[in-house]
This record gives sequence, structure tokens and C-alpha cells, in this order.
Amino acid sequence: MKKILVVDDEENICRLYREELEDMGYEVTTVCDGTSALDAMDKAVYDLVTLDMRMKGIDGIETLRRMKEKNANLPVIISSAYEEFKNDFGSWCSDAYIVKSADTTALRETIKKILG
Amino acid sequence: MDPVDKRELTILSEIGRIATSSARLEEKLQRIIDVVMRGMEKDGASVFLLDASGKNVTLVAAQGLNQESIGTLTFPLGAGIAGWVAQQKVPLALADPYSDPRFQYVPETGIERFRSLVAAPIMDEDRCLGVIFVLSQPAWTATGSEVTLLTTIANQISGVTKSTQLFQSIQDRLAELATIHEIGMALTSTLDLAQLLSLIAANTTQALHARGCTIRLVNLPEIQSLTGQSVDRFVSDAVRDLDANFGEILAARTVQERRPLLIEDIRNDASLAFIPDRPAGSLLSVPLIFHERVIGVITLYNPEDGSPFSEDDLQFLATIASGAAVAVENAAMYERMEYLANEAKARAQELSILYDVGTAMSATLNLDRLLRIILTAATMGGTGLGFNRAILLLTNERTNVLQGMMGVGPSSWEDASRAWTEVARKHKSLLEWIQTGELFEPRDTEINAIARTIRIPLEPASGVLAMTALEKRPFNIVDAASDPLVRPGLRDILKVDSFATVPLMAKSRAIGVILVDNMFTKRPITEHDIRFLTMFAQQAALAIDNAINHSNAETMNRDIRVMHEQLAQSEKMAALGVMMAEITHEIRNPLVSIGGFTRRLARKLTDPEAIRYIDIILGEVARLEGIIHDNLAYVKNVSPLFTRQRLNPLLDEMLAVFEEEMRQRGIRLEKSLADNLPDVEMDAQQMKQAAVNLVTNAMEAMERGGLLTVRTSLSAEKNEVVLEIGDTGPGVSSEAMHNLFNPYYTTKVKGTGLGLPITHRVIKSHKGTIVFRNKETGGALFIVRLPLPKEA
Ligand SMILES: Nc1ncnc2c1ncn2[C@@H]1O[C@H](COP(=O)(O)OP(=O)(O)O)[C@@H](O)[C@H]1O
Ligand SMILES: [Mg+2]
Repeated sequence: MKKILVVDDEENICRLYREELEDMGYEVTTVCDGTSALDAMDKAVYDLVTLDMRMKGIDGIETLRRMKEKNANLPVIISSAYEEFKNDFGSWCSDAYIVKSADTTALRETIKKILG
Repeated sequence: MDPVDKRELTILSEIGRIATSSARLEEKLQRIIDVVMRGMEKDGASVFLLDASGKNVTLVAAQGLNQESIGTLTFPLGAGIAGWVAQQKVPLALADPYSDPRFQYVPETGIERFRSLVAAPIMDEDRCLGVIFVLSQPAWTATGSEVTLLTTIANQISGVTKSTQLFQSIQDRLAELATIHEIGMALTSTLDLAQLLSLIAANTTQALHARGCTIRLVNLPEIQSLTGQSVDRFVSDAVRDLDANFGEILAARTVQERRPLLIEDIRNDASLAFIPDRPAGSLLSVPLIFHERVIGVITLYNPEDGSPFSEDDLQFLATIASGAAVAVENAAMYERMEYLANEAKARAQELSILYDVGTAMSATLNLDRLLRIILTAATMGGTGLGFNRAILLLTNERTNVLQGMMGVGPSSWEDASRAWTEVARKHKSLLEWIQTGELFEPRDTEINAIARTIRIPLEPASGVLAMTALEKRPFNIVDAASDPLVRPGLRDILKVDSFATVPLMAKSRAIGVILVDNMFTKRPITEHDIRFLTMFAQQAALAIDNAINHSNAETMNRDIRVMHEQLAQSEKMAALGVMMAEITHEIRNPLVSIGGFTRRLARKLTDPEAIRYIDIILGEVARLEGIIHDNLAYVKNVSPLFTRQRLNPLLDEMLAVFEEEMRQRGIRLEKSLADNLPDVEMDAQQMKQAAVNLVTNAMEAMERGGLLTVRTSLSAEKNEVVLEIGDTGPGVSSEAMHNLFNPYYTTKVKGTGLGLPITHRVIKSHKGTIVFRNKETGGALFIVRLPLPKEA
């Protein structure tokens, strides 16, 4: 089973993503900040990460940078409430940028495309 | 025929008749031994059966013995005559049992009435189900054929016992299924979590004849912390004492081990030795598991004096628990949804207040009027923030003093209720109150007089008001009398125990302080109130700062003033941008949860009415997401991506999109695009958006149709491309003139007030200008000038 790490400091969103992705048949771990996300990567190997941009402690961009230091090939999808950075995600080496929405279709399809 | 044979036949055929009757096992056995006793011409008989544990035999039927012993007289295998026969599985005839070492005398039975006995095991293949005795008052040495007869009878009893037990267990199972079904029905009857828990508790307690029940739920942090009233457990009154300080540890263990637990004797069970102070009695503890997640534990208790729970009870409870888990999860989900929906409503309300106030504030640069708007918004119930009284103070940086400027609020209860009923009666929104100016008649209220007397140095020793400005953070004072931060002077003039202060922050300077209290309603000021007040104060501070700068600027010459206004405008927009981004984040995340979980819920529901509600929720969520998107289009500061392009094709393309709509609205298009216009440096996407906004406004201005003119030309100095968009509507009203480019300024019911500000910003980032005028022939004309590249 493919493993996904969900990083978001909103507990409800973690829960929503977890339930939606588990329904798709993935194994999902959720953490609520960048530091725990990096810790989680030391403990297990993930096939994909969804990453919130704005979080307490180290923010999403910095978390992304350190994740890519650990594993340059790990696909990371940025999932953010902000639309204004949509054009910049490529320069941060993330693999996709999803604006958070109640309709999780975009998220699910992007993940399906990346994980095959 | 041998007399024994004849007796045997009579007895066996009698037993056969009894066997096919529909009586319960105990009753059948009672009748059988009666037949046996009389058939064998003896005066006593009894039957022991092996209990469920297989370790003891218990007296279940007796003739000639004290009836109280039935159900209570028990021998372990091997002990007493009954235990011995059951273990050895051989018949035994004793002419004088009292001298036999295997005999155990139990006085309560009345066995001493008999002199002799014969016992035979009741065998099922090689398993012993029990023992049958025949007792004789006179001394009796049983013959071989009498022993054989009893053995034969025992065999027949074995058949009766087995078939009756089977029948009973089927009946029990059926009754159990019926109960499970009933409970299942009950569980789907409510979505109220607290109600559901007590339903589950009541049903299981009743079905298992237990004394009481506790249910604990794991980890529902949203529900506990958010609704304040925790429904994370249920403890029935009957077992409150039993459960105290013991139940928690036990539940924790059940959660951890994820498997059901049956304890027959709580106090003496070795596996519970780790828990101190265990109550007496027996218990069942079963995890509630939903999708492999333990969501709770249900525990049933029976006190010492009741019969302990059995393995069957455990199975039964486990079955119910799996249904209960689904019901609990559904109810929890529903509760979460309800909470989120309320939360969203509250936030939408707050957002609309901020917009209203923002709109009203951006419409004035008069400081006195502005302060009154701010304080009115802070004190107005319903559509405002709803505090009873509010005072606004401003810092004077030159003298380093905090000066009370204005106070708003009723001065007595009567005054308060009069004002509030008036507000309620007129049913006006905050914005309407402000726009009609009704609230701005200068009134000499007590609170205003109080406010104007406050004048304190900006230093920590001055107390809470100064601290609010110095530390740039809010204070919530609950007990003014005992709070060292509250100086006696302030307490004396306010005459309240509780109040709150927030700083007015503009460009990271504290330009003043707002103080609010609930003098009359005595409603406590919550953390939430403070958060909202802080957001409100941010916006108010911005407007005040603008107004102050403006009045300072009035003394300057006209050009400088225009520049200054532009500056103020752009700073205001930048600050607004930050605020919008903030709000976006605050609103969008809960929207995702609300909508996301609602979608999940939709997949579970079949009730058409519920689905209709769900569709409404989803529709509204989508609409709110749309509004956020529009606002971001204004706020987000995407720097333009310049390429050299021709303006005319871009306009053609854009206008084509509106063709159909214009036709429907009876609007004619007059397009005159100059040939051979030079290319301009522009971001095509943004420029198109800028032009769309102007065309949309023109079309909206011509409600009853008209003429839309779109013209491009080269300026006289040949250094600019000029785009003119005109209409034949009513033109821009004199009131609107000064506010046209202010964000959120709109005269339309469904307007966002963001069209022109967006256009303005795009043109500015292209180093162009935009102006408008009303044409002599009627209608408005907007003129955009874009500079040509230098080398061209
Ligand atoms: N062509 C026009 N004729 C008359 N009034 C106009 C015109 N264009 C804009 N306005 C005024 O300017 C206000 C602000 O316009 P805009 O910023 O586009 O926001 P909105 O269209 O959402 O109201 C409008 O509500 C209207 O009062
Ligand atoms: Mg408009």
C-alpha cells in the first residue's frame, strides 16, 4: 500500500484528507507541523507528501526545502488556502500546487496522477 | 416377562412422553425422576447436571430432598458421590453410603432421611452430562438389573437433556437476535450523541440484566473542546460508585488491547491486580471499533450478589458494540458538522460586519465622523460588535499622552433599552444606520463626557490603558477592583468590574486604544470577542490614520495633497491586502472542512430531505469560495509579466465575449480602433481584466440599454496609447466621484466594489493613468493612457 504523509496545522483538514485518501486505498499519516513532518520522514518511507504552506513553527516552504534535502525524489504537493503563490510553486521544487477547496477532486486526481 | 423388564418398559415409555413435551429442561427432569422413583418403587430421586464450566455438578431436580437445595447444591468433579460418579463415569450402588469415604454430608439437603442409594452417570458418548440418583428410605441393596435399569434410564435422560438444551439455546439465540435488532433500530433513531450514549447504555444494561453501564469515547477533541459540554462519556447512576477511579484505567486498557474482556470476579482477578481498590462483582468490557479505530469502550457491571457475566453475554455485547460503534461515529460526525456550520455562520457574520464598517469608514475622511462610526459599530448589537459602551482614545506622539476622544453608549438601563429597541424596531443594517447618519447627531452623553476627561501619560505606571498601547496587545479585565493594572481613577469613572482594551495599530504603531464594556447586560467578554474586536480595531486604526494624515495634509498645496492621498490610498490597499489574506486563510480552511465533510456525509445519506440540505450547504460553500477568489484577485499582488503586444486584438477578443449579453440588454457597440497603433508593454491577462471591469461597469450603468463606445487612438504627443470606454448611462454621481477607486465602494446591490480598484492598480503597474468624466451628452467616459516603450 502506498503511504502518504499529510502535513497541515488544521486538525479538521488533516482528518478530511486522511479519510478521503484512505478511501482511495492509501495508507495515511497526518502531522500538524513542519518539525513533526521531518521527524516522520526519519521514521518511515513515504511515497508522497501533501504540505500546507502556512503553519506554526517552520513554514511550508522551509519544510519543503528540508524534505527535498532528505529525499530529492519525494513528490510533494503544496496544499494551501492562498491562491497567489500558484505561479511560484515550480521554483520551490514542489510537484503540484493545489488551492484548498471543499471539493477534493483536484487533490485526489493530482495524487492519482503522481502515484500512478 | 421379568418384572424389571415390565417396569423398565413403563418407565421408558413415560420418559419418552415427557421428552416430547414442551416444558423447560428442569421441569422435564423433575417429572422424569418422579416417574423413575415411583416406577422403581422407591421414595427419593435426584438429578445433577454438569455446569457450563464443566468443573462442577449442580442439583437441578429432586424428589424427597429439600427443594431449596435445587440450584444451590454443587459438588466439584470428584467430590461427594455425585462428583465421583460424574468423574468416574460408572454407576454406583451404596447400601450404606454414610460409611463410604466418598460420601459428603450436606445437612440442608435432608439426605439423612434415606438409608441407601444408587447413582448412574448420564452419558453422551464418552462425555458425562450429569448423574441420576435413586434414594431409598428403607435399607436397599440394589440388584444388578436395577443398576442396569437406572443406567438405561440415564441414557434416555441424556437424550432428553441434549435435545432440550439445544432447543433452549436456539430459543435464547432467537431472543438475542430480536434484542440486537431492537437495539439496532433504537440506535439509528437519533443523531444526538449524548442521547445515543444513554440509549446504548439503557438497552445493553437491560438486555444483559446488568446493574449498570459506562461508555467512554476516545479522542473527540473537536467536540469536547469546541462545544464546551463534553459528551465523551456516559455512566449510569447505579454504577457510579463502582466505576469511580477504576473505570478509567480499565477502559484505557481495553482501548490498548483492542479486545473484549470478561472478568467474573473483579476483586480477585489476577489480571486486574495492577488496579488498586477494585470493586466486587463481575464486568464485561468491549471496545467500540470503527474502521479499525477504537473509538470507545463500553463496560457493563454486575454487583457481587448478581450472577456473574458469561462468555455468551460477552459475545452478545460484542455484537451490539459493532453496531453501536457505527452509530456513535455517525453521531459524532454529525455533531462536528453542526459545530462547523455554526462556526461558519458566525464568521460570515463577522466578515460582513468588517465589510460594512470598512465601507462606511472608507467613505469619510472627517475624523469626528469617523470616530463616531467606529464607536457606533462597536456598540451596536445585532449587526455590530454589540458591546454596551465604548471609548476611543488616541495617542499624541508629541506630548506622549493618551487622550480620550469620544465615548458612545447609553447612560442608564432605561436609556439602553430605549436605544436598543429602537435599533431592533427599525431593522436596519449597520451600514444603513451609518449611511443615513441618524446615529451621528452629537449627543451629550455621560459616557462621552467621561471619555473626554481621560488623559494619561503613556508610561507603564499609568495602568492598563497605557499598557495596551505600549505593549500593543489587548487586555481583558475581569475584576477591576483587584487588578493592579487598573488604577483607582479609571475604576471610579467607569464604574464597572469588567472591561476590555485593544490597541489601534496602524503601520505597527499604536495610534490609540479602544475600551469596551458590558455595563448593562453584564455579559462576560470572551476571548472570541477580543479576537474579533482586535480585527475590527485594525481596520479602524487604518481609517483613523488616513483621516489624520488627510487633515494634516489639508494645509499643504493641492499637488502635494493629491500625491499624499494617492500614497495613503496605496498604503491602505497594501494593509487591506494583508488583512484580506488573513481573512482568506481564516475562512477558507473552515470552508474546506465544512464542505469536505459534508460531501462525505452526503455519501452516507439517502433521505431526500437531508440530501436537499446538503446540496444547499455545498452550494453556499462554493459561493463563499467564489467570493474569496474574487477578493483575492484584487488583493493578490501579482507583478505583471510584460510582453510587447498590440492592444486592439486584445480588445476585440474581450468584446466578443460580451456580444451576446449586449444584444440581450439592448446595448449597441460602437467600436473605433485606430489602425497602426504601436505595440505596448503589457501583461495581457491583467490588461484584459482591467478592460473587462470598465466594460462591465458601462453595461451595468445602462440598465435600459444604450450605446457603448470603445475607442483607441494615439495621443497628440504620440507617446501614449489612449483607450476610451464610454456609455450612455446616468454618469457617475457626485457622491460616488470621490470614492470610485476605493476598494469595496459600490452603489450596486450585488457589487463587490473591487472592479475599479483592480483596474486602477493594473493601469498603475503599467505606468499608465486612468481618469473619468461625465459627458455633456450624459453618461460616463473612462480614459486610460498607456505609455509607449521609450525607444519606440
Ligand atoms: N460607467 C459608470 N457609470 C456610472 N457609475 C459607475 C460607472 N462605473 C463605475 N461606477 C460607480 O463606481 C462604483 C464602483 O465600481 P466598481 O469598483 O467596478 O464596483 P462595482 O461594479 O462592484 O460596484 C459602482 O458601484 C458605480 O457606482
Ligand atoms: Mg464593477
